[in-house]
Amino acid sequence: MTRHLPPAGSALSFQKSPEHILSSRRASDPSHLFFFFLCTYINLTQLPPLYPQSINVDTGKFKKMNNFGVIEVAGTANKATPGWAYVPDTGPALPAALQPKNRKRAAAARNQPGLSLSDLTARQENKLRKDLEALNKDNHRDVNIPVPHKTGGGSRSQNKHTPNVRKILQSQKTFANHLDDYQALLALAESNPAAVVNHPLLFLNNKPLTTSASATPAKSASPAPAPPPPTTTAEKGGASKRSAAAAKRAAAKEKEEERKKARLAAAAKLPEPAPPPPPPLSEETPQEEDVEMVDISDPPPQQQQEEKELPTYPPDGTILPPYKKQPPVPHPGDNDPLLVYLEARATFGGEEGTKYPTRVFCEMCGYWGRVKCIKCGVRVCALDCLEAHREECVTRYGL
Amino acid sequence: MVGGRKLKTAGPAPPSSTLVIDNGADTIKAGFVTGDDGTTDKAPRVIPNCIARDRHNKTYVGSELEKCKDFGEIAFRRPVEKGFIVNWEAQKEIWDRAFFDDKAPQKCDPSTTRLVLTEQPNSLPALQTHCDQIVFEEYGFSSYCRGIGPSFNAYQDIQAIFHTPRTPDTIIDIPAEVILLIDSGYSHTTVTPLLQGRPLHPAIRRLDVGGKLITNHLTRLLSVRHFDMRNETYIVNEMKEAACYVSLDFKGDLDKMWKGTRGERREDYATGAGIATDYVLPDSHTRFHGIVRDHEPGAAARARKSAVSTEDILTLRNERFSVPELLFNPTDIGLRQPGLADLVMQSLSALPVGLWPGLLANIVVVGGNAKFDNFIQRLQVELLERVPDECVVRVARPEDPIVSTWLGAANFAKHEHADRLAVTKQEYEEHGAAWVARKFALGLGVDT
Repeated sequence: MTRHLPPAGSALSFQKSPEHILSSRRASDPSHLFFFFLCTYINLTQLPPLYPQSINVDTGKFKKMNNFGVIEVAGTANKATPGWAYVPDTGPALPAALQPKNRKRAAAARNQPGLSLSDLTARQENKLRKDLEALNKDNHRDVNIPVPHKTGGGSRSQNKHTPNVRKILQSQKTFANHLDDYQALLALAESNPAAVVNHPLLFLNNKPLTTSASATPAKSASPAPAPPPPTTTAEKGGASKRSAAAAKRAAAKEKEEERKKARLAAAAKLPEPAPPPPPPLSEETPQEEDVEMVDISDPPPQQQQEEKELPTYPPDGTILPPYKKQPPVPHPGDNDPLLVYLEARATFGGEEGTKYPTRVFCEMCGYWGRVKCIKCGVRVCALDCLEAHREECVTRYGL
Repeated sequence: MVGGRKLKTAGPAPPSSTLVIDNGADTIKAGFVTGDDGTTDKAPRVIPNCIARDRHNKTYVGSELEKCKDFGEIAFRRPVEKGFIVNWEAQKEIWDRAFFDDKAPQKCDPSTTRLVLTEQPNSLPALQTHCDQIVFEEYGFSSYCRGIGPSFNAYQDIQAIFHTPRTPDTIIDIPAEVILLIDSGYSHTTVTPLLQGRPLHPAIRRLDVGGKLITNHLTRLLSVRHFDMRNETYIVNEMKEAACYVSLDFKGDLDKMWKGTRGERREDYATGAGIATDYVLPDSHTRFHGIVRDHEPGAAARARKSAVSTEDILTLRNERFSVPELLFNPTDIGLRQPGLADLVMQSLSALPVGLWPGLLANIVVVGGNAKFDNFIQRLQVELLERVPDECVVRVARPEDPIVSTWLGAANFAKHEHADRLAVTKQEYEEHGAAWVARKFALGLGVDT
């Protein structure tokens, strides 16, 4: 008869393991008693006393003690049993109340591959979802408070709303509705782009403004223009940079581009003022010079100076010549779109997962949940909370 | 606008005064900014953004809530959901009573006023266009600028919050050059890196834990352990603000507050160990707000037994610190999101490494949840565990975290960026709502 000893380091819990816990040794066997005391984990003074001799062999039920949810199955050679033992908790077993009676099915359910201790059964996941939704409510019960309109609103003309406004005021949509609508719109745009051309609500996808308000000539949708022929004049460089700047994106993308170029110092801008902040911030200064070059009216007087100082590279003097080479090729990182609502929600991400196991707390008092109820699988901290939980557990799951 | 250096043709005269509204889910902060010489509000007026109905079926809109005495079983209707204005019927009513009625405390005439409105990042385009339409078509403000709340915070003297040592004649950068702003409010918590006042959009991350979730969690715990308080969210909210704090040593504090196994008597539990406190619940007759008291062992039992017990006393033990812990470990209730420190790291990982030192050295926390004790210390400790040793990590919060965004927006209204970004009513009528929304979405652009 194999006695199931808990291997070192595994999670222990009160879990019924039908084959192993109930031994068939006699109570009078001294080695059995010794072994029992050996594998007892908690302080024995806290256990209710055991009365092995009061065991009725036929029914197998203890007369007086609280057996921690262990129910003995009547067996032929069923003698004094220790009552419980620590068994390693291997995987999300179904709670006892729901376990299939057939041994084959039970074994199949227990040996599901790919599940670990942190995965939840479907029942637990539903419960969790409902709890989280309840936590996001403003009121516990669903109340409907009508908006009180004051009579005689003074200068407010309550009846003259434009049709847009009237539609907005009457709509009773919740945030979830709006979110679903937007997702449907995005799905439609993906599947059928022609149908959503110029849709008023799809302005977040990085197309530059096409109205008359923005009146710059060279507008390109791609972040960097096609590589211009290598020029040595600052003016052409300025033009290509201007067109790059003209494609309006979020400011961050522009900054990243300039950071990549990283060597733009207009002659007139130096010497640089300001005490040096931490080194990456010094990349801010190239942007100011970049703007200088963008300005149409300014470059000509500067150009002559720069061209004179151009010949040697690396430069002898303290003044860096402007960047004359080709702009860098477009990089996928240049697209930084505005994130939609769901994309900005932080999740755990693919490969890292949760680095630490989920902490579980006692349902009753809030301490660490070290002990699992056998019936329903919920965690409690120790005996007192377990008994308190058992009272309500019995009403839900029966005995 | 585009290119940045062309002079705009002189349009209509700039509006004389600006109404700055920070429209939050729990409260609206609003005030006037009137040019350099005019009277500017030093601090905004804080208006509860809700329509409430108490148990006698009396309805309070907005700041009328101050007149309410009995907060038991009061129910709320909030126009702002998840940080965005969804229900304009209610929001319009609250705004009307606060700003546009004849006897409104902050009366203004929209046609000569410019509006600066804040919203949360990553909004839905439909909600943004609704907002723009209401502002122009219903109220008719003369010009309007809608921006992301976190980016307005950059228009303050940020280094003063950090007590950076500097000479008295240093020029203050407005907007601040680089900040990592954590806005932890009623609906959620967002991490927004800002560079010269402009948000870096791909790195904005959101954690769906906010004051509302924390209060509801505390309500649930109390309902299981003490009294059923599910209908009294307002009272639990007060309790949370008075008694809850963030613990720097979660495991140690939890151990101290344990009752122990059967038959074991633990010293710390019996005396309270400095953590357990008594909270006296308000009743509608004598006390209208709860009181926090030091824990006297047995006080609750004594109060209940005495014949004339008028006090309901709750003893708060590990709820005090395990409830705000949700901000740092949302997995405690099963919410599969990273905690605040990991959120910051995720946001940084979307940015080039060169920005990390600047951002980590300038972390500013605003929002209601920043008022928990030890919040910033805990965040600093957790971040130091996650970044390389050489990084300097400074976390700070302004003196009044709730009002900070409004103060930044008020500075913004006086800055020339506001003129660049604002849209007048004529432009709206000419180009339409979609153009306006896109202009706000694209923001300020690249030059200084």
